[in-house]
Formats: sequence, C-alpha cells, structure tokens
Amino acid sequence: MAATFASRCSRVGRSLFGGLSDSSPGLFTTSHEMTCNSYFSQQQRTFIQMRTVLKVVDNSGAKKVMCIRALAGKKGARLGDMIQASVKEAHPNGKVKKGAVVFAVVVRAAMPKGRCDGSEVKFDDNAVVLVDKQGQPIGTRVFGPVPHELRQKKHVKILTLAGHIA
Amino acid sequence: MASQVLLQALFSPIQCPPSKLCFTSSCTASTFGSRNLPLISTSISRRCSPLIAKPSFVVRADSNSDAVSASDNVDENPEASDNVDEVPETEGEQILDSASEVEESKPPRQTRVKLGDVMGILHKRAIAASDEVRTTPDLRTGDIVEIRLEVPENKRRLSIYKGIVISRQNAGIHTTIRVRRIIAGTGVEIVFPIYSPNIKEIKVVKHRKVRQARLYYLKDKLPRFSTFK
Repeated sequence: MAATFASRCSRVGRSLFGGLSDSSPGLFTTSHEMTCNSYFSQQQRTFIQMRTVLKVVDNSGAKKVMCIRALAGKKGARLGDMIQASVKEAHPNGKVKKGAVVFAVVVRAAMPKGRCDGSEVKFDDNAVVLVDKQGQPIGTRVFGPVPHELRQKKHVKILTLAGHIA
Repeated sequence: MASQVLLQALFSPIQCPPSKLCFTSSCTASTFGSRNLPLISTSISRRCSPLIAKPSFVVRADSNSDAVSASDNVDENPEASDNVDEVPETEGEQILDSASEVEESKPPRQTRVKLGDVMGILHKRAIAASDEVRTTPDLRTGDIVEIRLEVPENKRRLSIYKGIVISRQNAGIHTTIRVRRIIAGTGVEIVFPIYSPNIKEIKVVKHRKVRQARLYYLKDKLPRFSTFK
C-alpha cells in the first residue's frame, strides 16, 4: 500500500503540472495552486480512455492492457462498457500474446457508477475481462468482484464465471 | 431643496381636510411623476409602491411627527408657489379619496406569511414514511454495518453488504452512507441511501473507534484495515 501511495502522490503531482501547462479546466492559475492542492489530494476519478492501462482479471493470458479505443461513449468508457485494447504484458503461454489487439469489457472502474436506486459503486482499481467481438469471454475464469451492471449490458457469461458479484 | 418642495406639496393640502393621516399620492403623481424624482422615504410611508404603477397608497399612521416637520417647511412658501396651482385641482379628488382611504387604511397590509422550512418539512415527512416501513438505526462513521439489499435485477435473494461506514452525508431523505470493504482482494466502496425502500435491513454489527468524520484515509492503508469477515 505504501507503493501505491507513492505512485498516487506522483500522479497527483503530474496531474497538477498537467493542469498548469494545459488549458483544460481553466481554474489552474498560479495563484490558485495552493487551493487546488486540497482538491487534487482527493483524486477525481474519470473515464477510461485512450492510453489507460488496465488490469486483466481472467485467465486468458494477458496481464495488462492499454485502452486504444472506448467503443461507447464520447468521453470514455465506464463500468460495463466495451473497449478495444492492446496487450502490453502477458503470461508466457497464454491464449493472447503481447502486442495483440483485443476487445475487453470493463468490470471494475475507479470512477463511481450510479445505479437507478440512488446508490453508487466504485472499486479501487480498473480491471477488464478480455472478450471477442461478440462479447463472449476468451478466458474461463474471472477473478475478483464484478458489479451487477454487467447483466444490464448483456454480459451474462462474465457474471456466471465471476466469483463474487458486488 | 427639491425634497422640501415635495414635502410642502404633500403637506400643505393636509391642513384643509379633517384627517391628517391619509392623503392620496395622486397629487404627487400628477406633479412629480414626470420629473421622476425619487420618492422620499422618510416623509412617506415605508410601504410605498412605485408611483407610476399604483397611484394610491396609504401613509402609515404615525405621520404626526412628519406633520410637525412639515410646519417648519411651510414658511418657505415661494418655492411652493408653482406647485400650488396644480395642487388645488387635485384637492377635490383628494377629499373624495380621503373618505374612502379612511376605510382602506384600517386593514393593515398583509404581512408576509412565512411558510417555514418547506423542504425540511417535506424531508421529515418522507423520513417518517420510510420509518413506518422499516426503522433505520443511527449510523455513524466507524460503524461496521451489514446491509441487506433487494436488487430488482437479482430478484432471487437479498444481497448482503458488509463493511465499515466511512462517511455519512446528510441530505434529508437522500441521507447516504459510504460503506467500504475488501471483497476478493479488491476494495469496493458503495454509497447507500439509507432510507431507500430497496434496503430491507441495516444492522450495526460492531463499532470501531475513529477520530474522523470521513475515513478516506482507509483507501491508502493496508487492506487488512478494511477487511471484515
């Protein structure tokens, strides 16, 4: 956890500088830097977009993928959406190899997803399950919790493979 | 000086009619409407409406002090000379109106009815209605809580969520608690509206002593601090 804390600090610093250099939300002036510090200590989680690295939680052979396209949504993918990704890290003998372009379904997202009864769910990490173009999972097991939202998105197979439904 | 002129025009006709308490502002409207003078607040009642819109209004009862001040200004007659000719023509209607104004001055202007805290009352009612169906215990940050939730998609059985309350946001009927737990190696935080009808039961299992109202630091700590059997 100390390692993740350190990485989070560096991410905070990078996002601060990114905000100062870019013109994105326009409230980053040098005078506001001190007030923005507290704002950034609580990370504003956002969509899964191009270049987002995600963890793979099935036994398809890949370990980490990088999103190259969010297939639905203008700003990015959310919980339950399908993305197109490139495999960055893989197990030596797995079904997918490094460098392959695959489709994946987001099963855990750090961005809170609202449900129709007023509740919200959010996870500590971003994770995907590799699927084929039709949405059928490539692997045979899914690790970790998955949310109900997959049922609405018609990813029933992943739900049945899941160990725990959040 | 303009204010004094206004005062004389208002108060010189007062000496003629019997009642000193009321006069119409129609005279003022006719004389001063075009000039667009700001209405002098001290001499005329507080509750005066814009001159052009509502020509008739009622002076507050304690204008006797004003009458005293008016007597001082009566000496400066030359300034009022240009207004005197205009004033008599409205004096006729003023006498007529004063009689009617006597009755109109009696019912006091309706004070604003304060409805009170409308949204607060509605929230309390909604919470009372939800309490009839199911009582909600007093939840605080640091409680280790077990929630049984009916999910419409998962109609078979109730889902059980256990975890520590890391924050409570009060918003009337949409008061929410955030519950954190490590499930199968990954931390999950769920926000529950505690008065939701989907929640079938909330039970406080244990309590952990905490010194914060929001336990957001638990995200950065070791997973074992958020693990509950």
